[in-house]
Amino acid sequence: MRLFLAMTGLAICALASSFLFREFNFGSSELKFIADFGFGGMTLFGSALAIIVTAQLFLGEIEHRTAMTLLAKPVFRSEFVLGKFLGVWVTVACFIGMLTLCLVLALWMRESSIRLEYPEGFEQGQRLVQYGGIIWFSLAQVFRIGILCALVILFSTYATSSLFAMVMGVLVWIVGQLQHIAIEARGVVDSLVLKGIYSAVGFALPNFHLYDVGEGLAMGEVLPISLVGKLLLYGALYSAFYLAVATASFNRREL
Amino acid sequence: MSVAISISGVSKDFRIPGSKRRLRAVDNLCLEIEKQTVFGLLGPNGSGKSTTIKMALGLIRPSQGNCQILGKSSLDPAARMGIGYLPEAPYFQRFLTGRELLTYFGKLSGVPKSELGGRVVRLLSRVGLEDAGDRRVGGYSKGMLQRIGLAQAMVGNPELLILDEPTAGVDPIGAADIASIIRELRDEGKTVLLCSHLLSQVETICDRAAIMVKGKLAIEGAVESLTAASESSSARIDGLTTDARKRLEAFAKEGQLKMSTHRRSLEELFLELSKGASD
Repeated sequence: MRLFLAMTGLAICALASSFLFREFNFGSSELKFIADFGFGGMTLFGSALAIIVTAQLFLGEIEHRTAMTLLAKPVFRSEFVLGKFLGVWVTVACFIGMLTLCLVLALWMRESSIRLEYPEGFEQGQRLVQYGGIIWFSLAQVFRIGILCALVILFSTYATSSLFAMVMGVLVWIVGQLQHIAIEARGVVDSLVLKGIYSAVGFALPNFHLYDVGEGLAMGEVLPISLVGKLLLYGALYSAFYLAVATASFNRREL
Repeated sequence: MSVAISISGVSKDFRIPGSKRRLRAVDNLCLEIEKQTVFGLLGPNGSGKSTTIKMALGLIRPSQGNCQILGKSSLDPAARMGIGYLPEAPYFQRFLTGRELLTYFGKLSGVPKSELGGRVVRLLSRVGLEDAGDRRVGGYSKGMLQRIGLAQAMVGNPELLILDEPTAGVDPIGAADIASIIRELRDEGKTVLLCSHLLSQVETICDRAAIMVKGKLAIEGAVESLTAASESSSARIDGLTTDARKRLEAFAKEGQLKMSTHRRSLEELFLELSKGASD
């Protein structure tokens, strides 16, 4: 709970600081600058929260031996894995929900003040920011972080310390963020071995870069619902795959 | 079917990290525990008791042999429907109150919602925690943790209770209360598998007992027969005056002093077997 509040506080501070830095927006639109801060905080702090909470929640039960009492009841190990996943996922969803609310509020306040300052720049009732798109974007981030939670649970099923699971979670998060490079490299290399390696990495690890679709939402660009649907499906499939492997791994674990 | 736990030819090997060698924690153990009995599983530290209990609960897999609980494989979660387990030095979710903890474990045990509330109240009262039910478990003393642990083991009204050191850290009055609850459980027709180092208590509570030494079953039987008269006998009379001693010696010389062999205690048997194995 303390970690959740600390991460939420940090993310809101990061979002609030975008108001201070708006004079140094490096040529971008001011609204886009605020949105980028919000999206960045959502992804960065959301991922950190997911990695730390998942590892602590799962391995904490094993280290403190509460899992023994729990699994001595008629509880399937798959239920334990799924329960932990849902617990963390809902926590992360609440975090992203709160940040989304703050971001929408911040954008709406700034957009309204710009409209008052420069009414000639806006047509009647026109809005620059795609608020609906921001909500869809946030929903996609919930699924993106869901994949990360499932991966950290997978590492936790055979890790003996939470530190190992957290370090692996961070590494996979970095690889997932840069995965598009491996995918692009696959198309330009000639070696079949390298192609195979890039393909294996491309299949085994998720491409988190796919979820970076909020680029133009503060500039009036519309986020296609079909793209959001694909991202949700992608996240659901990868999460289900990792959770299935995590269950198989946890079934073999001796407590 | 009158067998609650059937362990046949069970061995458990653990891999030693960084080595190809394996440590045999339990070696070809065969044990049957009848229903409606209180069975004491004894042994020195590292004798394989906890490993045996974990295999019975399906928390670890046997390397060889098989373990059946109430007629089902111990690896089948359905078998655990009829088991209540109190781990050694229980540790529970610190942020829950005693009442919430019992409700949580009751739900996991499949207790119907309509019965759960009443059952939780009765159990809190039965283990003497009625006044502490709304306090967080994190603030409980060691003895209170054992009591709430015993209550969570009973919340599903299981047919079989596995209690690992239920009186560890409990004061003598609390230990007597727990012993009394175990006797009541037997009278209610439950089977209790009890691990304890309080051998005098085991002797008074248990119907049957087994002693494990170095992963093997050293002896098993009814407590009555295990503590039967031993071959060696000794007698000691304290506080005799010189005159009384002379009269006793004279009495013995006349052949009027009848001697009978003394019953050994479970503790003596335990020490004998444990020392014998380590020599």
